[in-house]
Amino acid sequence: MGTISSAFSLISQALDADQSGLSIVANNVANASTTGYTEEKPNWQENQPIEVNGVSYGAGVTETGPTSVRDKVLEERLNQQQQLASASGSRLTALDTLQALFTPASGSSSSTAGNIGTDITSFFSSFSSLEANPTNNADRQAVLSAAKTLAGDVSNAAASLNSQKSALDQEAAAVPSQVNALTSSIAQLNLEILSQSPNTDAGTLEDQRQQDISQLSQLIGVNQVTTTNNGISITTTSGQLLASTGESVPLTTGTVDGVTHFFVGTTDVTSQLATGGGSLGGYLTARDQDIPSVLGSLDQLAYSVSTQVNKLNNAGTDLAGDNSNAGNIFSEPTQVAGSAAAMSVVMTDPDHIAAAGSGKGTGDNTNATAMATLASQTIVSGLTPINYYSNLVTTLGSTVSSVQTENTAQTASVTQLQTQNSALSGVNLNDEASAMTTLERSYQAASQVFTMLNTIMASALNLGEQATVA
Amino acid sequence: MQEMDESRVHPKLKDLVVEASRSLALLDADRLEELALSCRTLNRRLAPLDAEARAELKLEAAEAAGDMAVFGRVLEATRANLEVMRRLRRLRAGCLEYSERQVRGRGSAEGSHGDN
Repeated sequence: MGTISSAFSLISQALDADQSGLSIVANNVANASTTGYTEEKPNWQENQPIEVNGVSYGAGVTETGPTSVRDKVLEERLNQQQQLASASGSRLTALDTLQALFTPASGSSSSTAGNIGTDITSFFSSFSSLEANPTNNADRQAVLSAAKTLAGDVSNAAASLNSQKSALDQEAAAVPSQVNALTSSIAQLNLEILSQSPNTDAGTLEDQRQQDISQLSQLIGVNQVTTTNNGISITTTSGQLLASTGESVPLTTGTVDGVTHFFVGTTDVTSQLATGGGSLGGYLTARDQDIPSVLGSLDQLAYSVSTQVNKLNNAGTDLAGDNSNAGNIFSEPTQVAGSAAAMSVVMTDPDHIAAAGSGKGTGDNTNATAMATLASQTIVSGLTPINYYSNLVTTLGSTVSSVQTENTAQTASVTQLQTQNSALSGVNLNDEASAMTTLERSYQAASQVFTMLNTIMASALNLGEQATVA
Repeated sequence: MQEMDESRVHPKLKDLVVEASRSLALLDADRLEELALSCRTLNRRLAPLDAEARAELKLEAAEAAGDMAVFGRVLEATRANLEVMRRLRRLRAGCLEYSERQVRGRGSAEGSHGDN
């Protein structure tokens, strides 16, 4: 074999291999801006040497086809972080709307849900004015007017909360069609990959599948399981199969207790999807947890104020002389749930406000005093009405802040992983080592910054204390 | 020499924390190392502060608390990401050092050696 002819043969094969390699490089360059494209590397394989009379002769090289430079571990981590960031992002958007509802109106005299705190104070203060002059019609009108403002703002807030819940429900209900299109595409791509390259990287097909999984991760929480023949099965985070090779199971919807629920087959997976991640997880958490929590608190406030005020009014004597039978100021709630939405003023004649104590003359103010004192009594779940409302707003603000923190951190994590992914889908060991070093350096430097800032902040607080003591 | 903007000479704690979070998200190691130096210098300058400056710093610390929580979470996420990358690198390095062909090639040579 050691002839000029064999040497030409070797060179010819090497040129063919180079040509094939160049085609792959050209393809990389052509797709440099293609979304989701992963760079491909040529694979070189040494041809089997030929032995003649115990002497081994090299037989050149062959290019065996491209392999995509892909880090499945990194891609999966990226998808997981994307699921979390999407969930906190969509929840944060809903919470911001919720918080805006409870922000007091500024520069406008119109009453809004954000003025409930002021309304509570004004309502109980109106009894203090009535207390000074219990028969005065203007003061009586002022009580009814303050009651109407309070009831109107509370019921408007409840209506807005219910309306926001419906809007979130609609957004959530629109997600399954997108999910189903993606799972169907993944199932089909699995099938194509099985038939075309069951044992090696499927290049563009695999890119498409990864892109579908990435988009799916932004919608719902999923797990991906690598199966035989280069397949990937997609399940919900609670394990319900959504896509395998050639088969996808649709996510369907149905109405349960007035809201959209989600099913895989006959299994209701709504609560699992709420905690699973993706934008659907965020929508569902806001719809089923955040809004009901605020609405529940508002219901409790409306229920307690209405029942306590009505009870006291029916315990006194009104201007018409009705003793212990003056009637209700607010509509009497029968249960806590729904109290806020139904809160209204049913009293039309201000003379029926029982300012006088039971059995006392109409000029008496004992009952008006008792009504005014309700403001400082712990009549709503162990808190005064205004403290209970403040607590509601503070808790909401704290939740928003916490979710904001989560979202910022998760988005930063996604950015880091995308940076690493871009760096690593490069190419050689040196580049990889460099990307890794950057990550390690960043982490170490950031740890130092964090420790130092922590020390500074602790010192700042302590120094302040010492200065105060001195 | 031109006078520098006050905020550049004495950046607020909140700004430092936000900058650190942003730099860490973008893996800007150079910027983070600069920030670490700045923080060390700032820490050294704490002791001789007068009462007014201390009160101001205390206020700044309170303002920066929320952003510090964010920075903590980003750092936590980075640690997790770094762990993934380290494992990935070990995996990839392992594949390169003991590729299928090399293992196949060594099989016969090592068959008669070693402890087994």
